[in-house]
Amino acid sequence: MLGFKAKRAIFSMIAILVAAIWAFPVYWMINSSLLPNVKLESRIPTFWPDGGNLNNYQNVLQKGDFFQALGISAAVTLLAVAGCLIIAFMAALAISRFRFKGRTSFVLTVLIVQMLPAEGMFIAQSQMMSNLGLKNNILGLSLLYMAAVVPFTVWMLRGFVAGVPIELEEAAMVDGLSRAQAFFRITFPLLAPGLVASGVFAFLQCWNEFTVGLVMMTDNANHTLPLWLRAFVQSSATRAIDWGQVMAASTLVAIPVVIFFIIVQGRMTSGLVSGAVKG
Amino acid sequence: MTSLDARAGTVSPSNAPTKRRRKFSARTLLIPAIAILLFGLGYPVIWQFFISFQEWGRPQLFGQPAEWIWLDNYIKIVTDPTIWGIVVRSIVFCAVTSAITVGIGGLLALLMKAAGRTARFILQLSLLLAWAMPVVAAMTVWIWLFDRRSGVVNYLLVNMGFDQFYLFSWLESPTTFFGLAAVIVVWMSVPFVALAIYAGLTQVPDEVLEAAQIDGASGFKRTRYIIFPMIRPVLNIVILLQLIWNLRVFTQIKMLQDRGSGTSDYDLLGTFIYKTGVQSFGLTAALSIFVLGLTIVLTFFYVRSMLKDEAI
Amino acid sequence: MNKKVVAAAASLASIAVLAGCTTGTTDGQIEIDVDAAQGQNVTLWLMGGDTPDTLRDWLKTEYNKLTGGTLTIQEQGWGDATALLDSALPSESDTPDVTEIGNTWSSTYTTAGAFLDLSPYYEELGGSDLLQGFVDAGRVDGAEYALPYYFGSRYIFYRKDVWAAAGKTVPQTIEEFNSTVASLTTDTQSGFYLGGQDWRNGISWIFAYGGDLAVNEGGTWKGALSSDATQKGLKALQALYKNASHAPVNEFDSTPWVNINDNETTGAPDAATIIAPGWAHWSIGDLGEDGTTRTWNDDKFGVFPLPGVTANSVAPVFAGGSNIAVSKASKNKEGALVLMKLIFSADYQTMLAQNGLGPANLKYTDAMGDDQFASALIESAKGSKLTPAAPGWASIEAAKVLEEFFGKVNEGGDTAALAAEYDAKLNDLLNK
Repeated sequence: MLGFKAKRAIFSMIAILVAAIWAFPVYWMINSSLLPNVKLESRIPTFWPDGGNLNNYQNVLQKGDFFQALGISAAVTLLAVAGCLIIAFMAALAISRFRFKGRTSFVLTVLIVQMLPAEGMFIAQSQMMSNLGLKNNILGLSLLYMAAVVPFTVWMLRGFVAGVPIELEEAAMVDGLSRAQAFFRITFPLLAPGLVASGVFAFLQCWNEFTVGLVMMTDNANHTLPLWLRAFVQSSATRAIDWGQVMAASTLVAIPVVIFFIIVQGRMTSGLVSGAVKG
Repeated sequence: MTSLDARAGTVSPSNAPTKRRRKFSARTLLIPAIAILLFGLGYPVIWQFFISFQEWGRPQLFGQPAEWIWLDNYIKIVTDPTIWGIVVRSIVFCAVTSAITVGIGGLLALLMKAAGRTARFILQLSLLLAWAMPVVAAMTVWIWLFDRRSGVVNYLLVNMGFDQFYLFSWLESPTTFFGLAAVIVVWMSVPFVALAIYAGLTQVPDEVLEAAQIDGASGFKRTRYIIFPMIRPVLNIVILLQLIWNLRVFTQIKMLQDRGSGTSDYDLLGTFIYKTGVQSFGLTAALSIFVLGLTIVLTFFYVRSMLKDEAI
Repeated sequence: MNKKVVAAAASLASIAVLAGCTTGTTDGQIEIDVDAAQGQNVTLWLMGGDTPDTLRDWLKTEYNKLTGGTLTIQEQGWGDATALLDSALPSESDTPDVTEIGNTWSSTYTTAGAFLDLSPYYEELGGSDLLQGFVDAGRVDGAEYALPYYFGSRYIFYRKDVWAAAGKTVPQTIEEFNSTVASLTTDTQSGFYLGGQDWRNGISWIFAYGGDLAVNEGGTWKGALSSDATQKGLKALQALYKNASHAPVNEFDSTPWVNINDNETTGAPDAATIIAPGWAHWSIGDLGEDGTTRTWNDDKFGVFPLPGVTANSVAPVFAGGSNIAVSKASKNKEGALVLMKLIFSADYQTMLAQNGLGPANLKYTDAMGDDQFASALIESAKGSKLTPAAPGWASIEAAKVLEEFFGKVNEGGDTAALAAEYDAKLNDLLNK
């Protein structure tokens, strides 16, 4: 029999191996972003950006309004995610901790909304936002994003709330806490990983969303990052797509997400959770 | 199992308070969610419903009155021989990718739990990197890796002595096309599944696991009888969402098609709706509602048993 | 017919709007009135980055000089154009006043009633000097709704060294071209590399033999794949696919130039000949010492327009490029027309030509210069042809009907049977 430490070491090695496999396309993106196009078209793959340089990044940053798009994206995404988490959390709490008439219909409606293909809706959304004067408007776009991610988040959070034994709360109430106190001291910390996972997901959905953004933000000055990136992938009548620049631009779009994740990932580990339960 | 369930403290709805004041406040909690959904989707959904019964194309966009054709759009859809092939293909594609995704995702979640702190962070970060990679970049890289001329995969296979892969085109036959599409879809979806299940796992209090260990439950039994019931709500949702999303997977298929093989033999429902959209918005609306109906039918029993399980 | 009524109403409305402040000329032509546009701010949508910044700046400055208003230019992507136009053009508050539009789907929008009738200003904007193939694409019932903006064209790139080694010279007819490239084909080298579903290049053979994809018969569009001339072209194309090209059957319009450059593993090119848009020459050439740049080498590479059926003629190839139109929902039509006047001015047309874009007004093609690329472009553009100006053309492109058809021709199917099958499919989509 292997000891606990030996087992953990083996699992750690497997985890790192899987991590390497999963991140390979990401590595390939970064590698390509450092290479000139002639190398990218070559028959012999370049596995290591030896002799590579930052030209693609320089060109990309010179050409487009990266920082402007970054600002718009950050504003739209943060508004949408914050609003979505609050709204969805309230709804998830209601449907998993209380019983009332209409609950099942609400749950089913939210589910069915998820199933509706979005491809056919943009015309109507555009008409509506046009009439409300909310086109080319950060708040308008973030409201649409909120509507798009709330159903999913309600369902996810519902699962997480349902996963926290209500007995824990009840035990705390026996110890003299009020219901609200019990909820916020006991259940809420246990929900942190779920909130973070749902939040990360909502964040990524909004951050990378493209179709709705395209139709709503027709003004170049209001472009979000995916729209900014899109401009590099469009072929045209007078030039070929510059794939090196596409990869550099993609890398730039992904960096803020990674920073966001590193900030919140601590919340995802169980340390904080078990601490709260024990404390 | 029943006793273990009780110890793990699965939510039993009979415990939920049912006082009248609480009922009121519980419904109040739903108001913002209902409001935002009505705002974002109310009008578009009603609009789609109405025009699905009309001959509604580009001239209608510019103000010409639409002609009511009632069920003609729907009849056109169900009598089109190509659509049923696409429906079957989409269902198979959805079932295969969802099963693989949830399988791998679950294993990776357990792996994160079992690995050391640093290794776990590296794995999480790697999954997140894959997840955060813009779709355009991810698809471009995958298509490059499998490019017939300069792709790494063919290069390595040929160097390993498999000469039949010299200039082998992965997009030229539906089998390899959808095989590659499945790999990409799984690669893109696993991070969400793994991190969601892992988040569910961290909710299992260590005490519960320790208690089980003292009782002598082995690793497998612990997973099966303690961990599994506790993360089942999350797992159910993850599976359901995978089914819904993979049934109408669009971007990945569209971008593969743009690199060759754009014909209807390579369509799934998502790309089929898209192509129809250019012809007639009324037809697209009808097709969207058809796909919605199909999804409801396909997931009906799963959702019902899921709701029954949790006594919703 | 509905469309006619709408078109007539539109032209009446636009005349009514402008009648108060314009001077009529002969033939129903109206002079664009700069005074009426004073202080109007207009928005122009350009597709893709093809219009250079200097040209954009010129338009902004000149527009401001003439009207005192501001011109805002929004750049939109080609791939997203239909979604954007569908959602913005109908809305008075969000529509661009003037927009560039793909030439092959001009008809889809003009017949839907999206644009202002430009026929009263047609002569002033260039009239018969404009590239007529593109004008036809924007014409409904004799009225012009969209005019050409610029054009590009496809021509042949070939390996001089490979051709010379086999003792071949530039062919005078398309038959000679077909047999030459077939003779240059070996197991490892395509004589002529043509993607199996690459119909945009493949249709040159249909056009060259006098055929067509669809024809307008008394107001109704009909598929013409079964016509004798089209069949002749299809058979020639099928032979070419079989005898000269190793390209995969599923490939369309990708990056053919990678095949004509020397490949690093063998030191020889994969193809002796390709057909590509003119700008491909930036990607063709010898790899520099540093391994990062390619330089065109006149000893190894050459260009010529695809020859036609008779000697010294040029085959009609598919014309790339775009049209430009004024949105009917625009609230600043007077300003939009002033912008059109600027775009079709001698200055602007000359600048387009100097930047390598085929100018809409053919009087200014000389400004493109006289290097081999410019002359190949102009030569091939002269005979160039567009896809049918049928209302449903965008649907046909979206549904990939032609990719499917050409793929099946490539695979060696019976051209007559396939043509009958796909004519039926075209008929289904062409007229809506």
